[in-house]
Amino acid sequence: MPELGRAALLVTLGLVTYALVAGAAGAHLGRRRLAVSAQNALVAAFFSTLVASAVLLAALLRNDFSFTYVARTTSEALPTAYTISAFWGGQEGSLLLWLLFLTGFGAAAVRLNRQWARDLIVWVVPVFAGVAVFFSFLVVAVASPFATQVAPADGAGMTPSLQNPYMLAHPPLLYLGYVGLTVPFAFCLGALLAGRPDERWLIATRRWTLFAWAALGVGQLLGAHWAYVEVGWGGYYAWDPVENAALMPWLVATAFLHSVMIQEKRGMLRVWNVLLVLLAFSLSLFGTFLTRSGVVNSIHSFTQSSIGPWFLFFIALTVGVSLAIVFWRLAQLRSPTKLESPVSREAAFLYNNLLLLALCLAILWGVVYPLISEAVRGEAVVLGRSYYDFFLRIFGLPLLLLMGIGPLIAWRRASLTSLLTTFRWPTLVAAGTGVVLLFLGAGSSVPGLVAYTFSAFVVTSIAMEFARGTRARKALGASSWATAFSSLLGRNRRRYGGYVVHASIVFLAVGIAGSSAFDSVSEARLSRGESMTVGAYTLVYRSLDERQTANATQIRAQLEVSRGDRELGTLEAGKNAYTVEQQVSNEVGIRSDKLTGEDLFVIAEQIDPDGTVYFRVFVKPLVNLIWLAGLVFLLGSAIALWPDAREQRRLVARMREVGLPATR
Amino acid sequence: MAGRGYTFRVARKASPARLVIALSVAAVLAVFLLYTSIAGGGNPSIAPSALKGRTAKVQLVGVVVGPVRGDSHAGGKHFRLRDIGGSRATGVPVVYSGSVPDLFKVGREIVVVGRLRNGVFVSEPGSMITKCPSKYAPKKNADDPA
Repeated sequence: MPELGRAALLVTLGLVTYALVAGAAGAHLGRRRLAVSAQNALVAAFFSTLVASAVLLAALLRNDFSFTYVARTTSEALPTAYTISAFWGGQEGSLLLWLLFLTGFGAAAVRLNRQWARDLIVWVVPVFAGVAVFFSFLVVAVASPFATQVAPADGAGMTPSLQNPYMLAHPPLLYLGYVGLTVPFAFCLGALLAGRPDERWLIATRRWTLFAWAALGVGQLLGAHWAYVEVGWGGYYAWDPVENAALMPWLVATAFLHSVMIQEKRGMLRVWNVLLVLLAFSLSLFGTFLTRSGVVNSIHSFTQSSIGPWFLFFIALTVGVSLAIVFWRLAQLRSPTKLESPVSREAAFLYNNLLLLALCLAILWGVVYPLISEAVRGEAVVLGRSYYDFFLRIFGLPLLLLMGIGPLIAWRRASLTSLLTTFRWPTLVAAGTGVVLLFLGAGSSVPGLVAYTFSAFVVTSIAMEFARGTRARKALGASSWATAFSSLLGRNRRRYGGYVVHASIVFLAVGIAGSSAFDSVSEARLSRGESMTVGAYTLVYRSLDERQTANATQIRAQLEVSRGDRELGTLEAGKNAYTVEQQVSNEVGIRSDKLTGEDLFVIAEQIDPDGTVYFRVFVKPLVNLIWLAGLVFLLGSAIALWPDAREQRRLVARMREVGLPATR
Repeated sequence: MAGRGYTFRVARKASPARLVIALSVAAVLAVFLLYTSIAGGGNPSIAPSALKGRTAKVQLVGVVVGPVRGDSHAGGKHFRLRDIGGSRATGVPVVYSGSVPDLFKVGREIVVVGRLRNGVFVSEPGSMITKCPSKYAPKKNADDPA
């Protein structure tokens, strides 16, 4: 069996190497048949990688501990679902998954676009193949998932906190996001190499980018929720380098999704878009490098290995080659149009891009600062939470406001009078919200108050857009308000899906502001019968129970919770002691208020033999909006991603107008 | 080529707004980045063996050496930290109060922020971060007395 896996990966390496060489030669010499055979090799590489993946999956499911990888990541007792998740649990498996997604995406993107973008595809294939050569080389020669050993009696098993449903979805979603960013990268470079940097590569990859971006976003929120309910320190994001590694490409991809519209509509920002795509892809590689090389201290210290230098080499190669190609094609990338006014929709999008990029670069600076300071001063200096929070505020809050301005402001040039009429209501609502909140005591945190006020502004402007659009559709003859609304959504999915995503970002902002700027915390050591208060809540520690389960001893403190005169029932918090793994984990107690979105979050930090417990209790207002934001984000992305036959016809018609270049 | 050159010139000339915005944002960013990274918030990250004689606030990265004594919520938890990959001799005594992460135990790599006082590294409350030894494969520590 391992031989089959190894052979399949060798075949993949051979196929993608062929696709790289033959594809580049075919495109350069204009040999159609050579280019087509390279395309076919890329598609075939997906199937050989699929065979290798099937071998690994089968070995995992059969608990075949003669595979070093299987023995290291699973055990006999591990439930089947987590045995499957062990596929991406270790380094070799996750690289294989990466290669599988990569060849799959490559094959699909090339097949789907081969008719109308044939002249680009001939160059896209060798770019894809080049990336695939790197990853297949890694799994063949550096980190093979098919290494074998004398089978031990049982495997090493999986860390308890990772035996969790979130780990089934969180890592593969992030991989889908990281790998998905290869598609716009390959098409972008392909278009440049082909000497056709018009808008077609954007159109060909728009949904792919959107998909990768959505997967990355949802993956991160799942990770945050896992941290919140499982890790149990009372937070959901720690600005850890590995978390930042996923956030940075997402921010750049967000900027790209916006600036693409400027290029599509006005032909501007061509160089900028190309650079954003290169940056997003390089950052996704850099994220993997950070995760795997262990060059910076992280809470997530994954299995560290020798692949770090390989990644560094590949990142340097990617950045160097891509920039050289961009420079070579610079003259063709000059925009025919210009920015007419700093007060226009184009300008708003541009500010949005600059802020997103500034935030990303500030985070990147924070991540690499320990390395830079070590090189310069001989001593690694680590930047703490305050650094990141500061930049999130100064760049994030203006971004929030722009989400309310961008969709309403006129294209090209907006006059002062039109601005006054357009933004009258959002401004009034925001100001009203601000004043009311100030009276309610929200002035205790200025950034929090600003975030709430800006959120009110954005929500009002989104609501107005939906109302205006629905009214227009009704006037055009929709039979009811509901049909008017659904036809509005259906006619311009990207736009209205985008607004739904904006609404989710508002929820996210309000949730983050509420839970971080207006939270309260209290800690106390309690004996049975004693009580403590935090915010409006009173907690009485009643009893301590011990239960034995198959793999752990569970100790739980029972607390009676009340707010004012109202009894809210009991809450459990405690610890699990895992026998085999010799590990203790905090099991927090969370009581969510469905109406206000507030959480009461109880950690039993220390349980003493005499039964006294040291409790740490948080009240986190509005924190549940963060998780709601995840659902709304998913909904908005789905609306924007949904295939739209009308839009497709429009694009094809436009491409006919522009004239499809003669194909080779 | 002439056409390209023309477009190029027009685009450059007529987009002062873009250039100004880009430059100003870049300048603001550069100032902020330098300011915050030099003046604010950063702590040097060092190994226990490099601590000797330093009294400024630092981030100490090392491996926990037992015995672990005391109560982190009453008087503090006492233990030693040695260099990662170093011998026991590199260890310094540490006192820590506040939340102790789940994964804290002898043999684990941890990070604490604090300063050296009278030969003891006094950590800031709640500053401890533990590092998982490896993601999916728990290593069993033979030298674990706890």
